[in-house]
This record gives sequence, structure tokens and C-alpha cells, in this order.
Amino acid sequence: MSAISIIPERCTGCQSCEMVCSLSHEGSCSSSLSRIRAKKWEEISVFMPTVCQHCEKPPCMEICPTGARRRVPGTNAMVTEEKRCVGCKSCIYACPYGAPAIHPATKRTMTCDLCKGSPLCTQVCTAGALSYNPEGDPSMERKRAFGQTLFNSMKTR
Amino acid sequence: MIKGWTGKRLRIDLSLKKARSEEIPPADLRQWFGGRGLNASFFSQHFQSPVSPDLPENPIAFAVGPLTGTLAPCSGWTSIASFSPLSAPPVYDFTRMPGHFGAALKAAGFDQCIIQGKAERPVYLWIDDGEVKFEKADHLWGKETTGTTVTLQEEKGDRSIEVLCIGPAGEGQLPFANVIHRLSWTGDRLGLGYLFGVKQLKAIAIRGKKPVALQYPKQFLDLCLALRDQIHQGQKMRKLKAEGALSLLGQEERRNTRNGNRWLPPGSERQWATSLWTNLSGSEGCSSCPVHCSRSVQDREKSLAGIHLEKAWYLGPQIGVYSGEGTLKLHRFCQAQGLDPFLTASLLGRMLEEVETGNLSEEDIRQIDEIENQGEKVLALLGRIVSGGKKEFHLSTPPASDNEDLDILADIVSFCMIVVNRLNLMTVSNIIDLINGATGYALTIKDLQDTISNIRQMESRLQNKKLHWNDQSTLLHVGKGQISQILNKEERDHVSISHPTVS
Repeated sequence: MSAISIIPERCTGCQSCEMVCSLSHEGSCSSSLSRIRAKKWEEISVFMPTVCQHCEKPPCMEICPTGARRRVPGTNAMVTEEKRCVGCKSCIYACPYGAPAIHPATKRTMTCDLCKGSPLCTQVCTAGALSYNPEGDPSMERKRAFGQTLFNSMKTR
Repeated sequence: MIKGWTGKRLRIDLSLKKARSEEIPPADLRQWFGGRGLNASFFSQHFQSPVSPDLPENPIAFAVGPLTGTLAPCSGWTSIASFSPLSAPPVYDFTRMPGHFGAALKAAGFDQCIIQGKAERPVYLWIDDGEVKFEKADHLWGKETTGTTVTLQEEKGDRSIEVLCIGPAGEGQLPFANVIHRLSWTGDRLGLGYLFGVKQLKAIAIRGKKPVALQYPKQFLDLCLALRDQIHQGQKMRKLKAEGALSLLGQEERRNTRNGNRWLPPGSERQWATSLWTNLSGSEGCSSCPVHCSRSVQDREKSLAGIHLEKAWYLGPQIGVYSGEGTLKLHRFCQAQGLDPFLTASLLGRMLEEVETGNLSEEDIRQIDEIENQGEKVLALLGRIVSGGKKEFHLSTPPASDNEDLDILADIVSFCMIVVNRLNLMTVSNIIDLINGATGYALTIKDLQDTISNIRQMESRLQNKKLHWNDQSTLLHVGKGQISQILNKEERDHVSISHPTVS
């Protein structure tokens, strides 16, 4: 599993990730064209980057009525096939992270494509809130094992 | 189509509740770039002599540069200008505000926003992606800045809205009130809170979704990435990251405190810094900033928006407060009420002096003592000081700039003055390259020098100052950056540089 891991406590809300994402994908700078979003609650100093986690069992893929959500071989990124997408927003509602967004021009959904294996947002995040864990990263295995233990213990209670 | 800039100026008349969008001629944009330059040119065109800050026609001007709202590092600043209430007679003055307000204004589709007129009832401006509405603010009047920001965002059902607002201090038209956005970033030393209060303008809420178009996106992206690395890896930057803006306080400021301040026992500076540090957690950053020099305040397990450590210094050792908790309480008060920390600190310093020397009469003290609400009490006390001797009172002035030209350069493109001028982490040619990448306008150092000297002249005329003409422009001494060389190489490698990257 490849994913961008997020440490929200480190996020400073500078929105550099949004800018680099929209610049590299669309050629212009805008939060509304970005695949990643830094949400904010300024009164409590909480900033939270939100981006597709490329789930192992993606709810977006299950719910998509046209089968537009598919996995890219190689990076294992979950992306929307624009030709098939009808912009029904089902994936937005199904996503536990609220990661997909509607592209303002095409009106189709857009999500992170992991920049073909080297996500730029993780490169510009000098605060250290974003980092890239490619397929086979040992830290991901540790996280998965921890998650599984936690899940099992909760299930037995 | 114009790139980098939006080419639009938003004119708002609060008296008539009308807003219109004006074209800014491309020639003007090329001449003044934006920010401080656009503001100065607007004032020179429309005002022959200063107007009173109390009059409806006194404008508040916000302007951003061609690089605002893009990936360009440290491009989050906004220039603000008006006839300031802080001096008598009123004089043209300007300030710069870090944060995200400028980027939101640009995303809403404007390079400049001019607010004139005076509302009859309290209002707030709702700028939604280029559309302007004047909304009633009676329910917000009297609210502290936190309440105002959160209420506005919840009313519109969108927490991504950027809110710039005043607190009770601005409503009460205290000259040293300021405006605050994201509860961290303020426009200081201009009396903006007073100006908003006079216009009965409680807040400006902006939501912008328009993309900033760029001339050479690929080139611009590469340049920004290289520059971010250059800034991030610098030695000075590590210090700034570790100590926050506190590391910027010059020797002079510290020395002044020691000599001129009899409340500061030796060794207490370190003690103050340590006790302050235990209450801070996490950082906050301006739009597209790789530095993140602002800190969040932790109060009983809860974070309470940001603090800039330069301000903390003024509300700390500068006035003899050498407990970190004391400083944070003062800062919190200023933040909630919308008070300018620099000016409040200098007023408090003066107040403490007055009490000590017995200039504040017993009658004054008794009257103030009868007020129960602590906030009102402090405001009354400050109000008494202001009304008692505003004219002969000397407000603290910002430390003189080492290089005024670089300051102007940072202001016209709305860059961080700290990174460009105080730490010299970006060279002039870096900025020229960025402007070229964003707008396609290939300018030379000579063009920049002309613009800067014109801005100096305009501002001096507006301020009735005799121009101190410095023939040897300081810009000449700044060398060509390595980024230029990287770029030149890239241009040679790629034939088509204007090809946008498509996923």
C-alpha cells in the first residue's frame, strides 16, 4: 500500500501543499483545483490536511455507479477515470476522509494520484506534516500491525 | 489574457452600499506591480492633500502583488494604506499584514480593494468569489474577535472562509486598535481598528475560488521548489524555525530595553523566554510559507490561535513583564479585543510610568477603579491616557530598516519583508525570475529601481516629507542568484517552457 501519511499536529495551515498540487496538475494556483486540502479551525489552532488515503478496500470504488474509480498499477493510487465519471458525488459521501472533490471546470471528481510516485506536496511540506510511504515501506507495515491489534482488541470487548 | 495579476480593483462604497469592479490598466500593473506601489499610486491620483480619518471619503486600501496566492515562497503578505488616525494632522501611512487574507482577496478575483464611505448601521462585507454583499452586523457588534470569526464562518457554513475583523477596541474607535485575521495575523501601526470602527465595518469575510493563472507554469513550479529549498536549508532559517520571530529582535532593541527599562532585573530575559516557551505548541504559517515563524499558544491543554514572538517581546520585557504567563495573558487580551500589541505595549509602558510618577491623578484612578469589568477597566485606563495626551505622546516606532529599497521591493510583490530584507534569503534576481514566470513580464533591475524610486517619491509627496534622495540605490549591490543560473540551464534544456504539466 502506498499512501501519504499525515501528522495533523505539525500542520501550520500554510496551504503550500494545495498550491503545489494545483500548480503541477492544472498549471495554475488555487485551493479549489487542489487534490489535497488543508482544513482549518483557527480558534483552536487546528489544521488538518485531507487527502485520499488510497484505501485497501476503497468505499469509493464500491459505491461508484459507473465504475470510474480505479487503481493505477505501479503506484496503487486510486483515481477517477474522467470519461466514466458522471459527477454524482457518491464517492465524496462514501469517503471516510471526505477526500474527493469536484473539479470546478470538468465537474468530475478528482483525487490524489500520488504524482506518479513522488508526491510534490510531501516535498514542499517543510513543517513535516506530510510524508510519503511507498509500497513496501516498513513503517507502513508497523502501522498496519498496530491498527490490526487495536481493531482486534476492540472487537473482543 | 493577463497572467499573475487579476487586473481588477474592487471599489466599495459603504455609504451607498455599492460595490463595483474596475479594470486596472496593464501598464499600471507593470509599473507598480502591486501591494504598496498600487496603493501609493491610487492615493496620489485621487488625493492632493490628506483627508481626516473620520471622513467617509478616507479610503482603506488593500493590495496584493502578482505572486500572491501562488506557490511562490513567503508570498502571503498584504499591503494596507490609509490616512492614519495615529498622527495629528492625519498623514498617509501604510502597513503590511502577513497571513492568508491577501491570497483570499486574489482568489476572489481582485488585486486591490478600496473601501470608502461610512455605513449607517454596523455591516460586514461578504465577498464570495467576486460577488460582494453588504450584510448586517448588529449581532456581531460587541463580539470579541474569536466570536466574530467563528460566527461568520458558521453562518456561511464554510470554515475555509478568511475573516478579517475588529474587536470591541475598534468599535470603540481607539486609535491603537487593529484588525486581525485567522486570530493570529494583524495589520499593525496604522490604526486600522479605528478606521473600521469609524466606517462601522465589523469584518470582511472572503471566499475565493478563482485560480491564479501563470505564464510559464512549469518554469514557475521548478523555480518555486528550488527557492523553497534554498530558504529552508539556510543557517539563519534554522534559527528562525527554532526560536520563532524572537530570534529577529536586534541587538539594539534588546539594549534599549536594558538601559531604558528599570523594571527588568538582570537575567530575567532568559527566564521570560523559558516560561513563555512552555506555553507554546506547534507553529502557524502564512500562505505558501516554508518558514512558519508564528507559534500557537497552549492554554490548559487547549490551543488558542497564534502568537508572533516579536509581539510577545513588546508585551513582555519591553514593559517589564517578565513572566511568560503574564505576556500571554496580555497578548490574549489584545487578540480578543483587537488591540495593536506594539502600540498597546508602548501605551502600557507610559501608563506604568505615569502611575509611578504620580501623573495619573487619584480622581482618575478612583473613576477607573469603579469599573467592574476588567476589560473595560484596562480600556478606560488606556482611553484616559490617549485622551490625556495624544498629541505629545510618542508611539513606539518600528525599528529602522537596513535597506528601505528591499522593503519596498518586498511590499510591491507582497513578499515577506523578513525573508527578503532582514535575512536576505531571496535575491532580487530570484524575485525578478518569479515575476517573469508568473506574468511573463521580463523586467530588469533598472525597471525595478525606477519603480522603487517612483514609489519613494509618491510616498514622500503623500507624507509631505522632504525626499531624502539616496542616489546610490542599494539594489545595485545585490548579486544575481544561483536560481537564475538553474533557470537559464533549464530554459536551454527545455525548448518549450510554457507547456503546462497535465496529470
